[in-house]
Amino acid sequence: MEQRAVMSEPIVDERVIEACQAGDREAFRLLFETYKDRVFSIAVYSFGGDETAASDVSQQIFLKLMTSIGQFRGESAFTTWLYRLVVNACKDEQRKRRRWLPFGEGTPMGRVEEKRPQEKRYAKLEIAGSVQAAITELKPKLRLAILLKYVEDLSYEEIASVLDCSKGTVASRLNRGHKALARKLVHLRHELE
Amino acid sequence: MFSKHVTKDLSAYCHGEIPSEQSRQIAEHLIGCNQCRAEFEEIKLGVKLAERLPQISAPDSLWLDLQNRRAAEASTNEAHPRRPSRFSFKGLRPAFAGVAVGFLLIIGFGSLWIYTREARPFWEVARLNGTPRIGSSRIEEKGRLAVGQWLETDGDSRAKIEVGSIGQVEIDPNTRVRLVETKATEHRLELMHGKMSARIWAPPRLFFVDTPSAVAADLGCGYTLEVDDEGSGLLHVTSGWVALKLKNRESMVPAGATCATRPGVGPGTPYFDDSSEIFREALSLVDFKPIVNELGKVTALEILLVNARVRDTLSLWHLLSRVDISDRSLVYRRMAALVPPPDGVTREGVLQLNEPMLQIWKDKLETTWGNESIGGVQKAWINIWTRALGKVDGLQGKNRIQAEARP
Repeated sequence: MEQRAVMSEPIVDERVIEACQAGDREAFRLLFETYKDRVFSIAVYSFGGDETAASDVSQQIFLKLMTSIGQFRGESAFTTWLYRLVVNACKDEQRKRRRWLPFGEGTPMGRVEEKRPQEKRYAKLEIAGSVQAAITELKPKLRLAILLKYVEDLSYEEIASVLDCSKGTVASRLNRGHKALARKLVHLRHELE
Repeated sequence: MFSKHVTKDLSAYCHGEIPSEQSRQIAEHLIGCNQCRAEFEEIKLGVKLAERLPQISAPDSLWLDLQNRRAAEASTNEAHPRRPSRFSFKGLRPAFAGVAVGFLLIIGFGSLWIYTREARPFWEVARLNGTPRIGSSRIEEKGRLAVGQWLETDGDSRAKIEVGSIGQVEIDPNTRVRLVETKATEHRLELMHGKMSARIWAPPRLFFVDTPSAVAADLGCGYTLEVDDEGSGLLHVTSGWVALKLKNRESMVPAGATCATRPGVGPGTPYFDDSSEIFREALSLVDFKPIVNELGKVTALEILLVNARVRDTLSLWHLLSRVDISDRSLVYRRMAALVPPPDGVTREGVLQLNEPMLQIWKDKLETTWGNESIGGVQKAWINIWTRALGKVDGLQGKNRIQAEARP
């Protein structure tokens, strides 16, 4: 939590957000630079390593951010508001993609994308690559909780707010996510020590 | 101790999302509950794996793609007018863009500087006496020891470290320690020289101390550890159990016992503090003194065996796997005379270092190592060690242990 506070707060503060709301392009560029990797990471993991799809969704998210930032009233933390946008955009896009799949071809995303060349690029390190692959095979609810915790470094309370659920549910999803990862990758235990 | 299982709270426990009092109760429950402890190990592995999940950099083209997309939407809007947006990339002039890039670079480097300087995990340190230092800064009353930083005391100073929410370490005068790692699944300190006392109430295998001649793994409870300028160490356990390891050489040291370590050798054989002086001297010769000739070695071993009491089977049990087969038969004979091996444990099996047999005999021996003053928690630790934790993970020192263990 300490890390996040130090890393993000000094960069995007209320003044930057107000400037964005007033249409300041430079302020928006600052916002983009601050969050682009985090947004893109969630999108990549949500789309099974497909960076093209992730790039497309990231663009949608930032366009949406441009047009709707005026609606941000500061009732929650900006990051919470932003990650809600990200999570909803990823869910919507997944729904759209599922809709266009011919009936019966709903293969788990991670397995389809394992063969894509994009994934090979970021799976150079064996453990990181294995974890990435395992993450894409998790159920979406568990995956999102894990991503918000480990990629975005959110607290349980913040994750609960983004996912609109209780802290207990967050704890439960993380528990299940951790166990699923451990069971899939138990063979890596000794390499982690 | 919680009578209710704590499995649903284990991720939150690992992430420090549980209030400290409840966290302590969970730790206590984990000590005594095999089921929850097994699940804790699984969750901990999941946490370690998830921590390897990297953030993925967005492609450099993302901003340009965004502009193009926005421009395309704008031209569509011109053909089919809608409410205009406040943002437009068309008017971004090159000079203005240059200023913006400079601004972003300054912010980027600034945040990196702040991050590397302040965002590293840390432990709270309190001054007890004198003027301890963290790096080159004096600690007035309280300070922060970040990962990678050294805490040093001079001849007049002492300090106390809060080890996250899992315990406390007191640093004696003339001591130098470094925080190597602190995270949910591992807390690790390096003791370069001097003396420290640790009281840890975490589950097993969370707190480690690297020294030049061994790694100490705490299993809860308390101990003191000192290291001299040559890198030799001395561990004294006041409650619970501590494991010492270097490479394949491991000693398990219970409350009331002590174990020395030497660079290049690793941990010696643990012995109870109430063992006779002659026994301890002979043990030290067997462990560490260069063997001039076979006669000298046998003499030291024989002295040791003659002076061994029932409780000293703690030392003899460790020696079984450290001496050659001819000496092993001598050790076996003495042990069998002190505490006969239980059914199923044979002389041949022990001489061949059959692990299940050694474990069964150890289970029986431990009933003789007990101390009337040992309380329930300590007995629970003993139970953990003997029943569940044959080997200790995390005992590969991360930094400076170069020495090779004696085969």
